[in-house]
Amino acid sequence: MTLMPTRTILLACAIVLVAIIAGAPFVLNEGILRLATECLLLLTMAQMWNLLAGYAGLVSLGHQVFIAFGAYALFLTSGWLEVTPIWVLPVAPLVAAAVAAIIAFPLFRLRDAYFSIAMWVFAEIIGAFTMKSQAVGGTSGVPLATSKLIDFDWFEPTMFWLAGGLTLVTIAALYKMMTSSFGLGLMSVRDNDLAAMSVGVDVRHNRFIAFVLSAAGCGLAGALSFMGNLFIAPLAAFDVNWSVYMMFIVIIGGIGTLEGPILGVIIFFGLRELMTGPLGLSGGWYLVGLGIIAVVVMIVAPRGIWPALRDRLGVRLLDVHRAAPRPAAATILPGASERVTG
Amino acid sequence: MIWVETLINGALLGGLYGLLGIGLALVFGVMRVVNIAHGEFMVLSAFCAVLLSNLFPQVSPLLMLIPVIALSFAVGWLYQAAIVNRVVTSPDPLSPLLLTFGVSVILRNVMVEIFGADVRSLQVGELSRASLEIAGLNIGIMPLLTLVLAALLFMALQLVLRHTEFGRIVRATADRRDIVRLSGVKPDRVYNYVMGLSLALGAIGGVLLAVRSGFTPFSGAERLLIAFEVVVLGGLGSFWGALLGGIALGMAQLIGLKIDPNAGLLYAHLLFFIMLLIRPSGLVSSRV
Amino acid sequence: MALLDVNGLQIFYGDLQAVFDMNFTVADGEAVALVGANGAGKSTFLKALVGLNEERRGAVHFDGIDISQMPAEQVSRLGLIMVPEGRLLFDSLTIEENLLMGSVNRRKGSWTLRRVFDLFPILEERRRMFPGQLSGGQQQMAAIGRALMSNPRLLLCDEISLGLAPVVVEQIYRSFADIRREGTAVVLVEQDVKRALATSERIYCLLKGRVSLTGPAQGLQPEQLTHAYFGN
Repeated sequence: MTLMPTRTILLACAIVLVAIIAGAPFVLNEGILRLATECLLLLTMAQMWNLLAGYAGLVSLGHQVFIAFGAYALFLTSGWLEVTPIWVLPVAPLVAAAVAAIIAFPLFRLRDAYFSIAMWVFAEIIGAFTMKSQAVGGTSGVPLATSKLIDFDWFEPTMFWLAGGLTLVTIAALYKMMTSSFGLGLMSVRDNDLAAMSVGVDVRHNRFIAFVLSAAGCGLAGALSFMGNLFIAPLAAFDVNWSVYMMFIVIIGGIGTLEGPILGVIIFFGLRELMTGPLGLSGGWYLVGLGIIAVVVMIVAPRGIWPALRDRLGVRLLDVHRAAPRPAAATILPGASERVTG
Repeated sequence: MIWVETLINGALLGGLYGLLGIGLALVFGVMRVVNIAHGEFMVLSAFCAVLLSNLFPQVSPLLMLIPVIALSFAVGWLYQAAIVNRVVTSPDPLSPLLLTFGVSVILRNVMVEIFGADVRSLQVGELSRASLEIAGLNIGIMPLLTLVLAALLFMALQLVLRHTEFGRIVRATADRRDIVRLSGVKPDRVYNYVMGLSLALGAIGGVLLAVRSGFTPFSGAERLLIAFEVVVLGGLGSFWGALLGGIALGMAQLIGLKIDPNAGLLYAHLLFFIMLLIRPSGLVSSRV
Repeated sequence: MALLDVNGLQIFYGDLQAVFDMNFTVADGEAVALVGANGAGKSTFLKALVGLNEERRGAVHFDGIDISQMPAEQVSRLGLIMVPEGRLLFDSLTIEENLLMGSVNRRKGSWTLRRVFDLFPILEERRRMFPGQLSGGQQQMAAIGRALMSNPRLLLCDEISLGLAPVVVEQIYRSFADIRREGTAVVLVEQDVKRALATSERIYCLLKGRVSLTGPAQGLQPEQLTHAYFGN
């Protein structure tokens, strides 16, 4: 059974989701709302990481740098201009995108693991400079200077709405993008550089756009995330665990799919609430558990859980995969072995 | 004069950094895999040395290197056989990267839970403070020994790879994984030995670094980044290049610390990043 | 009993079947030519024999041992050795080291470095050079030498004359007399049908993955062969 999404079904789904997000703050208590906000922001980040790794074939281990840039940009601009942080939110993705656009030039000379680790080194360098710079609060970080302008009665719901809106817009935009010619070009880059180039896909250009968009999305989600805390410090902002979370969510859920990160986030938070709640384990063991799941998934189902489920169940939701699955050799073999003569 | 001393100490530290890099370079050269967990394995071997020297306080911690090296070899062999070999031939070059990154996260957090996040170090007593005075320069015995040991290990590795059958098999497997099978060689087994060797070399670096400065379970990332920078600066697959790269980074770090005592690895990272812009192919370009 | 006995072999190349229902035998010490047009499945067949192509079904016995699903590294130890198409030497090993790789499987026999150098004296001169510094013909000699160092009972040669000057091909083929004197059986996969026929006792012709002709190499009708080679 194949469930093909038509325009109307998708539109109906979108309306239902918007209604759920709009109504949720009136139903849920504050703790759950905060958790849901965190979930949605991490989902957005994971989608952004996936845009780069799953579609453009670039694994970044330094994506925390964009989260930090977005968040610091928000905190500092809001402080300077003395306006409510929400109004300066657009600064966050712009700064992150600008940084990405600049460092793309040296970094895009590197391939595969070199790109990944050079990104990480870049994040370390910026992190070290941030800790040294008293202008941005040094190691102790800075509180949100304009927090007095925030209406705290509506703060949690607003954060949730922003996160929810961002998630929906991100997924819709990615879906639109991946079914466009740009997305197809991008995916052909992931599959085969040379082949893509030979049919006229501008590999560098497509990668560049994916990189800048991915940075912008992470910048905005990072800004929202730290805005919710009303405080930012370099150790938290430049934590390599941001990349770990994004990577694990994408790897476990399904790399190169839109649904994968959604499934990944559910597993990520489900496991966290289970292990640190009822089981009473520490955050360290939780990461160990998550890491083991990720490693097992990579070995058993290298494309992730969602693609494996999809193939088994034949369900298609937001499928942006262009080629029909190739018939496996196994489907030919039974017939072939009958032809063996004695 | 103080700058000359800094440069010399930087060069001595560089020998150690070369050792961190060489294990990573070996694995990359043979199987085109960057083992992201390399740093965590180094930290793990340092923890093993600390545990052993707590168990046998009368034995010099430096002698603990021998069992730790053996243990690391075995761990590397198993790590490759059980995990890395499953993705090493994956058509997607990102698979080994992601997998070893996953392993590094697991190892780091297991170490945090077992050993705690406190700073540890390996005490070698008098030796760590002993120094030589040459032409008015103060040079530590321990760093000097480390550099000599690093140079000896580099030579030994070179010799093994150049002049033994094992070395030939390793190089041939690096060249053509399929064709060595026609000579009766099982590539996965070669990889097992290479990863064992890599982690054994990493263990030497890890233990000696633990003598020099403190470490926590979180030090693995730092060690991996140094190792990686050493390899890239040195030019891929070049062992002597790795030593040179290590020396360059060691000097950058110590000069940086002279300018700013809180700099940590910032200047080493900066040197790496700048070199990447100027000379992406590394300081030395040559073959294995 | 034949040294190599292939019965009903099917080989797959990804999703496609490359060889159908292949029957093929080689007797001890025999030279057999395997000819056919490009894409007929000759190389695929050789690779499957030595275990490099793992998608295969059917019975393959070498010296009475079932090797139909045996991995390449084990097949090599039995003395079924292939000279791969395109030489495929180890680029970072010297010529001498390349030859020594042949003896890694530890098969006893009369082939040594000395004897390979006697067979191809040019290789001794260039023993310290790397494959990239040698001409195509010299590389081919090194590839054959590497296989001989394994002391093969059956040597599978895949397109050894491809891209080489006629004089060089002549020289390489002359060496087969020496090689066969040891009792080594040979399978020659060749585009150059004449050459293959002149060197072999029996011939197999492959057409689109199936044996289209088999028989003694001598006394073959040209039109018979053309038909088997190209089909119609």
